[in-house]
Amino acid sequence: MDKFAKRLQEDAAAIDATASDDFERRLAASLAATRVVDPAPAHRSAPGTLWWASSLTGLAAAVAVIVILNWDGSGPAAETDTSIARSTVPELVEPLAVPPGLDVRTAEFTSPLEVELEKLRSDIEKARQTVREDLEFSF
Amino acid sequence: MLTDEQLVDASLGGADHAFPELVGRYQERLLRFLITRSASRADAEDALQDTFVNAYRYLASFDARWRFSTWIYRIAMRNAARQRRPEPHDSEVEIVDDNDPLAACIEDAERENVWSTARRLLNEDAYNAMWLRYVEDMSVKEVAAALDRPLSWTKVTLLRGRRRLSDEIRSTDEVGIQRESYG
Repeated sequence: MDKFAKRLQEDAAAIDATASDDFERRLAASLAATRVVDPAPAHRSAPGTLWWASSLTGLAAAVAVIVILNWDGSGPAAETDTSIARSTVPELVEPLAVPPGLDVRTAEFTSPLEVELEKLRSDIEKARQTVREDLEFSF
Repeated sequence: MLTDEQLVDASLGGADHAFPELVGRYQERLLRFLITRSASRADAEDALQDTFVNAYRYLASFDARWRFSTWIYRIAMRNAARQRRPEPHDSEVEIVDDNDPLAACIEDAERENVWSTARRLLNEDAYNAMWLRYVEDMSVKEVAAALDRPLSWTKVTLLRGRRRLSDEIRSTDEVGIQRESYG
């Protein structure tokens, strides 16, 4: 190691890197409120055996477009009208609105609020520190 | 002793002790770096807290081809960059009369930390590159990966940073030696 590198390391080591007493507590609380996020499914490696799936989907879409474009509409008029009417009107067999899982939502919203609370506390502490420093500087 | 990367795997596997051990390994190193980059110690601690929380949250997306230190420094640098860069204090740029031996003695007694000089002279990327190379002892390739810059750019930046900083240190030392002659 040359003299220059040694001096850079010595001066870095001279910087006091002792965290405040409050820091450990804040960090532990933040980590406890944090969950590991799974990587997006799109980024996961797809199974090698399903390489043909996207090609097949594309092919099916292309065939569907060709069929629609070439459709001459020469069918029995009355039957066509009836079938369109039947297919577009939804049948009220099942309830349209499914009530949301309220318990799950409550659990989801609890963690970010805890984090927000920690951040607010941190901001207050920071503001207090700034005021203290300003007062020391003034007097 | 487990490597950082093995600890990451253990943490993802559900080992409760693994991530706190990583925190223990990196807390002081990262805080030292962030203190030199932040306006206050409280800001540095905030940035450090965000760094660990982000690292933990996205631990599953850590790419094992990287070193953990490179990855976590990237997060720390991003958090540091979000904060306001400290303004130089008036007292630090006070003009000292070279003919005044008393003033010279006072200045010699409080030699400026090289990293304060570096912060004054170098831009953000050059400063980060110098820190990773000389304090964290990363290879040039790892520094380039941490900064997300080409290898050639990193080499040139390190070379220029080193030259600029060593010139400044040399000139400061020379002034110091000249002033010692008064004593």
